[in-house]
Amino acid sequence: MSTQATENPDKALYAAHKKIYPREVTGKFSRLRVIAFISLLGIYYVMPLLRWDDRQALLFDLPARKFYLFGLTLWPQDFIYLAALLIMAGLALFFFTALFGRIWCGYACPQTVWTEAYLWMERKIEGNRSRRMKLDKAPNSAAKIRTKVVKHTVWILFSLWTGFTFVAYFTPIDELANKLLTGNLGPWETFWILFYSFATYGNAGFMREQVCLYMCPYARFQSAMFDSDTLIVAYHPERGEPRGSRRRGSDPREQGLGDCIDCNVCVQVCPTGIDIRDGLQYECIACSACIDGCDEIMDKMNYPRGLIRYTTENSTLGQPQNLLRPRIMVYAAILLILLGSLLTHMLYRIPLELDVIRDRNTLYRETREGLIENVYTLKILNMDSKSHQYILSADGIDGLKLVLDEPVIEVPAGTVHQLIARIQADEFNMENRSETITFRLQARDANHLLTSEEARFVGPGKN
Amino acid sequence: MASPLPYKIPAIQQAISVLWPSFMTAIAATGLFFSAFDPQDLVPFDLDIDISPLAAYSIGFFIFWLLASISSIGTLYFTISNCRFISKQNR
Repeated sequence: MSTQATENPDKALYAAHKKIYPREVTGKFSRLRVIAFISLLGIYYVMPLLRWDDRQALLFDLPARKFYLFGLTLWPQDFIYLAALLIMAGLALFFFTALFGRIWCGYACPQTVWTEAYLWMERKIEGNRSRRMKLDKAPNSAAKIRTKVVKHTVWILFSLWTGFTFVAYFTPIDELANKLLTGNLGPWETFWILFYSFATYGNAGFMREQVCLYMCPYARFQSAMFDSDTLIVAYHPERGEPRGSRRRGSDPREQGLGDCIDCNVCVQVCPTGIDIRDGLQYECIACSACIDGCDEIMDKMNYPRGLIRYTTENSTLGQPQNLLRPRIMVYAAILLILLGSLLTHMLYRIPLELDVIRDRNTLYRETREGLIENVYTLKILNMDSKSHQYILSADGIDGLKLVLDEPVIEVPAGTVHQLIARIQADEFNMENRSETITFRLQARDANHLLTSEEARFVGPGKN
Repeated sequence: MASPLPYKIPAIQQAISVLWPSFMTAIAATGLFFSAFDPQDLVPFDLDIDISPLAAYSIGFFIFWLLASISSIGTLYFTISNCRFISKQNR
């Protein structure tokens, strides 16, 4: 137990449950963070609105079991790519943590980004730190209730928008908006919108730093990636101590004081409510708010900036900096190997796709010759960088006939070609009412460019 | 020796420590499971049910969440009860 805690037992007991009112801060790093937050929020809300060809640019189409990533269409068998991407994201997190410490936490983590967005709204509605604290302490009044109602309404609307956007990554956004406006939202879509909205509202509005302190697994193990050359936010005790208040313009050395004027700004701006002067703590999300807060005070006092700053353990101890440590090299090597194999794998992926959609209006029709005919819409996606000519064939039922308007199908590079295919078969050759047939597509000029797609062929059935 | 459980863990913390890790596990399990299996092909016990893919994925997710929660409850229960037992022995 530290002496401070024994002096203030109340503080030690209740600090964890105390609501934190982070003070607003301006400065170099705050600007950087705001840029990061706006870009990330922008990406999140704008992404589902982007179009690619005639579909949504980024769509995890679960019913169709296809992931659209701009020009790339991933099928369930391409799951390995997503898994590799996730592993690489994890490794990149290790790599950047070893180099720059917890920049992920301070600048890019969704928990931080949305918390800051909700704090910003709170600030706009309830006012600055002292006004917010006063408002919460004040007895209930019409004005207080009105302010709180406004804040929660804005929060809830923003949460609902967030939830709607989340579901729009899985259901096309135009379809979803249409369903919402006409009141035809499915039960599960409604559920997930509300679920995600509620999670956002709770995490960004109420739980905030508690998510980082109690729920985040990364916060618990990030220190394992740290070494003496990792960038950290640190207070300079040799320069700051002994801390104490003083008149402006007076010489601190005469009074036996360090540069820290004990103004507590670094504590007030902290979103996790810690005192950085107590040293590196796992609660610190390295958001650098205390750096900006302290620099502003140092400017006012005419002291040099950087009493709290980004530094490394080695640099504080006057040791040489070491950028290329074994740890960094190992993380980088694994990352590069993974990236290399992923890219190679993707290069050798067959850049051809065939999509078959059965005509839904009629199950089947009978031709003049007495054959059963099914009509299909085929979509050929040539993902290659050059144009190809393809030959289509079909099999699955004895004596099956494929009728096409064009015997050779020319598809320019990176485009979708749509055509109608008619399949005719004798119903006596059908075992069941519905048979599986296979369309095969082969490029004329490249043997490796072949693909196939199954479809249903429906007949009248045997009675 | 000091008691291994110096204070009572609040109910809300217990609930979160069960629901949260199992939630993350359920996301991973759902992703893996449905990458391998199309819900359209998985009609259990020859039941004649017709549900949308989204419903199938959602129900799958909740089943995984439930199973993982049961496991988390077990871990939490054994941790707390073993700590109590050890602290009683040491008293």
